[in-house]
Amino acid sequence: MPELRKDPVIGRWVIIATERARRPDLSSEPHEAAKEKLCPFCEGNESDTPSEIYAIRPKNTPKNTPGWDVRVVPSIAPFLRIEGELDRRGKGVYDLMNGVGAHEIIIETNQHIGNMADLSEEQIAKVFSCYADRITDLEKDKRFKYALLFKNYSWVAGAGIIKHSRSQLIATPVNPKRVKEELVGAKNYYDFHERCVFCDIIRQELDTKSRVVLDIDGYVAITPFASRFPFEVWILPKKHSCDFTALDPASRLSLASIMKKTLLKLKKGLNDPGYNYVLHTAPFRRQKVGYWKSIDYDYHWHIEIIPRLTRVAGFEWGTGFYICPVTPEDAAKFLREVDA
Amino acid sequence: MSELRRDPIGGRWVIVDTDHPSTPGEYDYEQQIYKNDICPFCYGNEIMTPPEIEAIRDNGTYPNTPGWQVRVVANKFPALQIEGEIDRRGIGMYDISGGVGAHEVIIETPFHNKDIPELSDQEVEDFLKVYCRRSLDLAKDKRFKYIMLFKNFGTPAGASLEHPHTQLIALPMVPKNVAEEIKGAHSYFEYRERCLFCDIIRQERQEKERIVLENNDFISFCPFVSRFPFELWIMPKKHSGHFCQSSADEIKSLAWILKETISRLKNIFPNLSYNYIIHTSPINSDGGLEGYHWHIEFMPKLTRVAGFEWGSGFYVVATPPELAAERLRNK
Repeated sequence: MPELRKDPVIGRWVIIATERARRPDLSSEPHEAAKEKLCPFCEGNESDTPSEIYAIRPKNTPKNTPGWDVRVVPSIAPFLRIEGELDRRGKGVYDLMNGVGAHEIIIETNQHIGNMADLSEEQIAKVFSCYADRITDLEKDKRFKYALLFKNYSWVAGAGIIKHSRSQLIATPVNPKRVKEELVGAKNYYDFHERCVFCDIIRQELDTKSRVVLDIDGYVAITPFASRFPFEVWILPKKHSCDFTALDPASRLSLASIMKKTLLKLKKGLNDPGYNYVLHTAPFRRQKVGYWKSIDYDYHWHIEIIPRLTRVAGFEWGTGFYICPVTPEDAAKFLREVDA
Repeated sequence: MSELRRDPIGGRWVIVDTDHPSTPGEYDYEQQIYKNDICPFCYGNEIMTPPEIEAIRDNGTYPNTPGWQVRVVANKFPALQIEGEIDRRGIGMYDISGGVGAHEVIIETPFHNKDIPELSDQEVEDFLKVYCRRSLDLAKDKRFKYIMLFKNFGTPAGASLEHPHTQLIALPMVPKNVAEEIKGAHSYFEYRERCLFCDIIRQERQEKERIVLENNDFISFCPFVSRFPFELWIMPKKHSGHFCQSSADEIKSLAWILKETISRLKNIFPNLSYNYIIHTSPINSDGGLEGYHWHIEFMPKLTRVAGFEWGSGFYVVATPPELAAERLRNK
């Protein structure tokens, strides 16, 4: 019997359809779409990107030259532009505003390595500290409400043809819908129980264990109860905190370690699938002091990783109703048994 | 400067690239190329599917044999099962419900390689009538709260079989996005005592720049807040909450506009794969909310959805709907 499961945070129902796992089309898709050109993200090619915004590099090396560890540049094809005012307006029944925002590319290594799983833990920790620095910096721009940090690995996951490990950061002038739903869901739960919904999830998962993939050094990697996709994995800090940027350096290294292990398990166990991950963290809270009054207690930052194994049909987009062909319990068991 | 546009129904924001709009030629999409493997939906292979639930077939032919024009069977790999109780319960903090529902496949034509543009108007009308009949039949089952009709055409759009077919899923709850849409439409109705969708139709017919096609009963247009390039909505001009209550004349009009819309898209994008979903009101609900208006949302599969869209629910559209509509009108 298939099951319908409800996401406890945002209330989305998901069909966990064990029957469908037998369908023939559940395999990772081919990675390449086109031939790769010269990589602008490799060390030595700094002049092929727009001028850097930020870099982790030795003091004596100038901007836009080799010698860096992590480098941030503006996107050459930005979704949103940094200059200008929002100018909110209406047009009949419709509302619109100018596309103001920031769109940055975080180059995670100076070597031509495609998958974050193949970076060292120390390097991944540097990437995380770069995330925190960039988000903190963008918060100073009062036009922005949220900074969304995400990664598209491989062509199927929406990356371009260049295979060089990187993530993207987009600062938006409104809180994105999906983020808002999660914040509202977490707040509602808190108002009712006076507990954090994510802390409760972690407690129950550690208790039942069937969906735990890794439990190391202050972090857990789980396959969520209402997974939308096969082998979806969430990484959460056990210690309650709503804000990723507040992470201390030691904890960043632990996060890097569980991240690397999780990505390696996906790579080895599922034949190097494409994936996306998204950092879910608190929005900028400088305005409206009362508005996010309980957010320090009710929200809990985490990372959601989605391997791209199935093609998402339009109806799943259109309805918000997902059919997951592998139970999260089977997925967790499988991933636990992969060496990494 | 690109624009941020807000969907008046669900409140979603979309980024529309009005600065450097992409032309159709710039989309490097995966084409649907028929492989013509042995197909359970073709004539002579009726035995490969679960037994038929309903069919339009020649007089004197028997169920599960050739001679049909439209055929409905249960999905061989159902996401939900028809037998059993819903049995809603909690496991600790989690909620769970039995996967009770119906999952049917409507085989639109016996021809393996005939998508909607290659069918006659009558053939399109026939399978649309079957959509209605199946919806009405399943609505009798009080366990079901929503009937979702959707088509995935082509492997890139998530179809596991290439033979043209539509799926019908009857659910014991209303899917999240639909529920939000209904709620959004309802609060607009409460505030203005008018249907939001009727207002949209009025504004679109006035401005004309996003309209692709129009006939007596329907308009086909690129929505102001498109999530995908060349997204299209087909909407009845007359206010109506339920697709399955459409009259025979309306179904005839719908068949024409659906076929013509897809033909125009496929003229621009050869071997295009796509999805469409019929958005209609929930069933067997007490009271029901006013101000909903059924429609079809049509999504061409031209781009790959990436991490930004997942995480944010924000979409980025590289071709403004005004430009897309213009291209489609002139095709």
